[in-house]
Amino acid sequence: MWSRRTLPAVVALLGVAGLGLITVGLTADPAQPPSPSADAPRRTHPAPDLAPLPPAAPVRVQIPAIGVRADIVPVGADAAGVLEVPPLDRPTLAGWYRHGVSPGETGNAVLVGHVDSPSGPAVFFDLGRLHAGQQVQVTRADTRVATFTVDDVRAYPKEHFPTTLVYGPTDAAGLRLITCGGRFDDATGNYVDNIVVFATRTA
Amino acid sequence: MKVSTALCSAALGVGLGTLLLPGAALADTTVSPATTPVGGTVVLTATTCNPKSGDAIFRVTGPNRDQNVRSTTAAAGGGLSAELFTAGFTLGTYTVAATCGDGSSAGTATFAVTPIGGAPAGSGGDNRDTGALAAGGTLLGTALAGAVILIRRRRPVSTVA
Repeated sequence: MWSRRTLPAVVALLGVAGLGLITVGLTADPAQPPSPSADAPRRTHPAPDLAPLPPAAPVRVQIPAIGVRADIVPVGADAAGVLEVPPLDRPTLAGWYRHGVSPGETGNAVLVGHVDSPSGPAVFFDLGRLHAGQQVQVTRADTRVATFTVDDVRAYPKEHFPTTLVYGPTDAAGLRLITCGGRFDDATGNYVDNIVVFATRTA
Repeated sequence: MKVSTALCSAALGVGLGTLLLPGAALADTTVSPATTPVGGTVVLTATTCNPKSGDAIFRVTGPNRDQNVRSTTAAAGGGLSAELFTAGFTLGTYTVAATCGDGSSAGTATFAVTPIGGAPAGSGGDNRDTGALAAGGTLLGTALAGAVILIRRRRPVSTVA
């Protein structure tokens, strides 16, 4: 029975609940990307004896385990010396650090991609979910495909970024995939960590 | 003819040395650290140069650079050192070739100038929960409709009273 007293109460309740849900909707925390541990990386797969490939820019990266299939654009660094990333309005692109080696050459090739963008999860959102043994394929401008096997996945605070492990010299053909992770700092508009995937060429 | 033979044998000697003692051949010139974020300082050391025969010269070549750096100090482990400040360096790999004060070559080494820190690779995502927004909107709409009905019903009552 809808008495004169219950109807206003129901209307008021609906109004309060509606306003509450809209508030929740506008302030919801975004989906959290996966975040691995921060210990030192380890080489889990011995690098096979492969002849290094000649230089050739990478054009596409595929990571079947997390459904990544992305085009690659070359990136450098900005005037302050910070690594560039592909534009946020094209969050499905990955970037190749063009001042380093290309994937398949001796040394560490570096690919970077956004974890998310204002429109939702981006190309490397699930990077932290990768684990040792999974594969990353990079197609190069010379049509060759270099296949890398993941050695380790780690998270580092940005102020303790492992520059040498990522960009440093190595005897094998390595691949480093970088994205953001950890807590999002609203004050700086940045994530506090970087996720780094360490991989070695195996085919 | 003699000159070219001498060059060949010198090259062969270096090649053999590299094959037999790769570690020793690389140790003649060192760069520490071998990787630096741009703006960082690296120490160049020619380990085999004798300070008594004069300063060593380090020739640094790379993406946009060809400069000579003169040694400034005797290295703790032997040889001669210089500091190199990488502010303004283009990112990439550089080669250092050292020559001792007596003119003899002290080998080469490479180092990489890299970006600073990590990558700003995220925006914090989409801060709206569209499901909650839609549900909230529906509830609020229903409440407004109910309020309108209530107000219409009450009017005649108030005029009677």
